[in-house]
Amino acid sequence: MFSSFCPPVADVLLFLPSCCRCSPLSALLLLMLSSFCPPVAAPASLFCLCPPAASHPSLIFHCPAAALKYTDKHEWVRVEDGVGTVGISKFAQEALGDVVYCGLPDVGTKLSQSDEFGALESVKAASELYSPLTGEVTEVNNALSDNPGLVNKSCYKDGWLIKMTISVPEELDALMDEAAYERYIRSIED
Amino acid sequence: MSPGCTGDQPQSASTSEGWQDHANLRAFRFSKIKMSLGKTPVSVVNLGRVAYRSALQIQQHYIRQHFDSSNPTPNTLLLCEHSPVYTVGIRPVQYPAEEEQRLKDLGADFFRTNRGGLITFHGPGQLVCYPILNLGCFKKSVRWYVCEIEKTVINMCSKFGIKASTSPDTGVWVGNNKICAIGIHCGRYVTSHGLALNCNTDLSWFENIVPCGIVGKGVTSLSRELGRDVTTEEAAPVLLKAFSEQFNCCLVKADNSCEQTQQTLN
Repeated sequence: MFSSFCPPVADVLLFLPSCCRCSPLSALLLLMLSSFCPPVAAPASLFCLCPPAASHPSLIFHCPAAALKYTDKHEWVRVEDGVGTVGISKFAQEALGDVVYCGLPDVGTKLSQSDEFGALESVKAASELYSPLTGEVTEVNNALSDNPGLVNKSCYKDGWLIKMTISVPEELDALMDEAAYERYIRSIED
Repeated sequence: MSPGCTGDQPQSASTSEGWQDHANLRAFRFSKIKMSLGKTPVSVVNLGRVAYRSALQIQQHYIRQHFDSSNPTPNTLLLCEHSPVYTVGIRPVQYPAEEEQRLKDLGADFFRTNRGGLITFHGPGQLVCYPILNLGCFKKSVRWYVCEIEKTVINMCSKFGIKASTSPDTGVWVGNNKICAIGIHCGRYVTSHGLALNCNTDLSWFENIVPCGIVGKGVTSLSRELGRDVTTEEAAPVLLKAFSEQFNCCLVKADNSCEQTQQTLN
């Protein structure tokens, strides 16, 4: 059974550095499997616990092509094909509590970096959302109208908030990568 | 970084309001308070009876102070009472223009706000408290903050001999009746709006709405629970004492020292 789920060793080695960074368990699983033979894609959730690239099967055994970048206000952005998908982090959704309403902008809204673009309501508190980048809103997650709890249950995947164009790609460079964001979280909690 | 505050200063915009000398004196005073008590100072401002619209503008003033790096002690707690007004939160869909007009025709004002929570009523006999706090001075969690507000009011009710509690619906309850409504806004960790505690409020105003959107439950007040008239003036110092205990902060009335304010509350 395992022989149909194994990557070439080279791909495993390529994948290990990022996987070790984000999940030692993933790395261990891959090391065990690398002793078997050739490659077929396997369900991402089995091998990689790193959001969000794990949701894309073809990225399982390669470094995530679309890594998350984070703001100091706990929004994340993932850029794929020139479009940024925006959501809030696990830390943020835990600090909010159960989200009962998502106030999101209209498609076509132009945002500058750090502009308020909406609010999430939880425990009778409305918390502002801040745009991680400069761009224009191209899509809003309408699933949140009926199911705002997706922001809590699946903050990196189904609980995404908006998609936007990227007018100033250089702004991404100043955002935190996952390691820097984890350090930032620890500094807040201390 | 503000003296007395271990949290981060919110990203600030510079203003020039002539605060410099006053700010330096307050900075010195509050740094002494912090060293002696280890507590975050919070200024108490009693606005008395104030129009809801004015209270919104005043809150914005104190919110801006948090982003003014020259102000060393921006944490503020506003106390007030309003003339009859219905307010709604960021979910406006349930309260269209027709509903707004119906409530205005009853003689109340109507405001759409940026707070959480659904519809509520504010009016004479209700003690309204707007903490304008930087959560960086306490804990950077809105969920924690709302919980602490609920505990503050429960603590305060217990000082009156009233057994209050929380429920799955945010707010403070005595049985199935809400005695205190809560609705908050938070931006860059700075809070606004707050809580509304019924002291000797005319509760019939609540019959025109479904308070907080919760069908099947009622409202109550300190006066109704105790069977005697309890004014906002009587309730205010009790609420302030409970707040200082729950948030482990040092409340300072304008131009008073922390010690003098604490003695007033004891």
